[in-house]
Amino acid sequence: SVVRCQLYSPQRALQVSAVLRRVSDEQKKEPLASSSQQQFDSHPTNHQPEQEPQGPRPSYTGQGGQESEDYESEEQLQHRILTAALEFVPEHGWTAEAIAEGAKTLGLSVAAAGMFHSDGSELILHFVSQCNTKLSELLEQEQKLVQLGKAEKKPTDQFLRDAVEARLRMLIPYIEKWPQAVSILLLPHNIPSSLNLLTSMIDDIWQYAGDQSTDFNWYTRRAVLTGIYNTTELVMMQDSSPDFEETWRFLENRVADAMNMGNAANQVQSTGEAVVQGLMGAAVTIKNLAGLNQRR
Amino acid sequence: VYQVFESVAKKYDVMNDSMTLGIHRVWKDILVHKMNPSPGTVLLDVAGGTGDIAFRFINYVRSVRERQLQQKLKRHQNLSWQEISESYREDKFKSLGDSQVVVCDINKEMLKVGKQKAQHLGYSEGLSWVLGNAEELPFDDDKFDVYTIAFGIRNVTRIDLALEEAYRVLKPGGRFLCLEFSHVSNPLLSRLYDLYSFQVIPVLGEVIAGDWKSYQYLVESIRRFPPQEELKAMIEDAGFLKVDYQNLNLGIVAIHSGFKL
Repeated sequence: SVVRCQLYSPQRALQVSAVLRRVSDEQKKEPLASSSQQQFDSHPTNHQPEQEPQGPRPSYTGQGGQESEDYESEEQLQHRILTAALEFVPEHGWTAEAIAEGAKTLGLSVAAAGMFHSDGSELILHFVSQCNTKLSELLEQEQKLVQLGKAEKKPTDQFLRDAVEARLRMLIPYIEKWPQAVSILLLPHNIPSSLNLLTSMIDDIWQYAGDQSTDFNWYTRRAVLTGIYNTTELVMMQDSSPDFEETWRFLENRVADAMNMGNAANQVQSTGEAVVQGLMGAAVTIKNLAGLNQRR
Repeated sequence: VYQVFESVAKKYDVMNDSMTLGIHRVWKDILVHKMNPSPGTVLLDVAGGTGDIAFRFINYVRSVRERQLQQKLKRHQNLSWQEISESYREDKFKSLGDSQVVVCDINKEMLKVGKQKAQHLGYSEGLSWVLGNAEELPFDDDKFDVYTIAFGIRNVTRIDLALEEAYRVLKPGGRFLCLEFSHVSNPLLSRLYDLYSFQVIPVLGEVIAGDWKSYQYLVESIRRFPPQEELKAMIEDAGFLKVDYQNLNLGIVAIHSGFKL
């Protein structure tokens, strides 16, 4: 069977690379940052297939072109399919159907959607991860401008407002189906991943905010901003004002509240409880929203 | 192998029900659910003889399509009556939404039984029956979205050839699904299962189908068949990626899945 392996694997590598590489040729720009930066658990199957290394394979100048530099891993192909699927979310929702349509645009069979969980979890997590990456890049660029002296350093409250607004604006094209997405993210099997993504995004924002004030401690900062983000997101889903101006006004007020809170001595303890209550309330509201959308 | 199936063709379904106490229907339902086909999917069901998988596929796609149409109508609430009636008319002709299933079997008798069943149950559109050998399929490359083989692969002499053929006829992105008896690792269940297989099944074969030998062959072929991990390796050798399996009933049956990527 050792001989058999040798006979088959060059064949397999060629066969496989013929398909995968072709796919990667069609879309040259591959946002590798999105696949390697934010880790989330993929859908747990009974027995994990052999794990492919994430990111590009090590390139080596092999003979016969068996392992070439732009050989794409299954992981990368999956990301590509999910990205393509986003285009179909406004019409089909966060579903296996959207993924199937996405696969079709890449020249793959609709059956490729079978690689993913049928409730659309991976699609949503992929989207959230992508948005977080975009936000990080945006904040990184702004920081560079400040360091180069080309821009003023924003005061903390302005910084937080702009960061949250920028991040939430990414939801606008999908806002109609977003309540559905949030309710799926709250499912028990998704909570570890979605919570992880949320907290790393919040931490990211604080990191770039570069807040040196000693009024907040680290946990409070995280909790406060998480609360602001979640409640603003909820408001946004029910907002029908032009360009969501009511949402941004709400955001402004919440951030102002948080800044004022810094002066209170007992905010450290009550924040924890308040955030938990806020999240519970958020969960109930989202369930209602999702129910609302279904009834319609 | 051919003669075995010639003699069992007519009693095939009845024997399946009695051997597995009807659970085989659940296994096949699970297979199609796992497939989760969307309308427009083209399925090749190999060794599909009497059409069980094909019929389930058609039912599934039909109900998905109905739900799609309902949702579409819900969104078009401002259409005039004229437009609504037009959309009904054009969608009625596509109740399957371009989905198709080709049932391929090496045995004429099995196909005949399948066609009769289809007629009897009222399945007509999107269904075709082809005589063919799994080791050398009479189809062009890159033709099908999904390839299924339910309780058929253990009867193939050269499984590796069948797997390679499956890879060939599938479109890029296509899915390979195999439903087959496999190995039970639990020792207690394994003993009960062996008892049942060797003592009860051939007797049932004799009583219901008048054929002890064929059913003894069946039971022995199940024992000889490679276990889950080995089959998974064989599927990977044929070129499939993301190969995985799901045990049903603790391993009495397993569904293997792979993608042509």
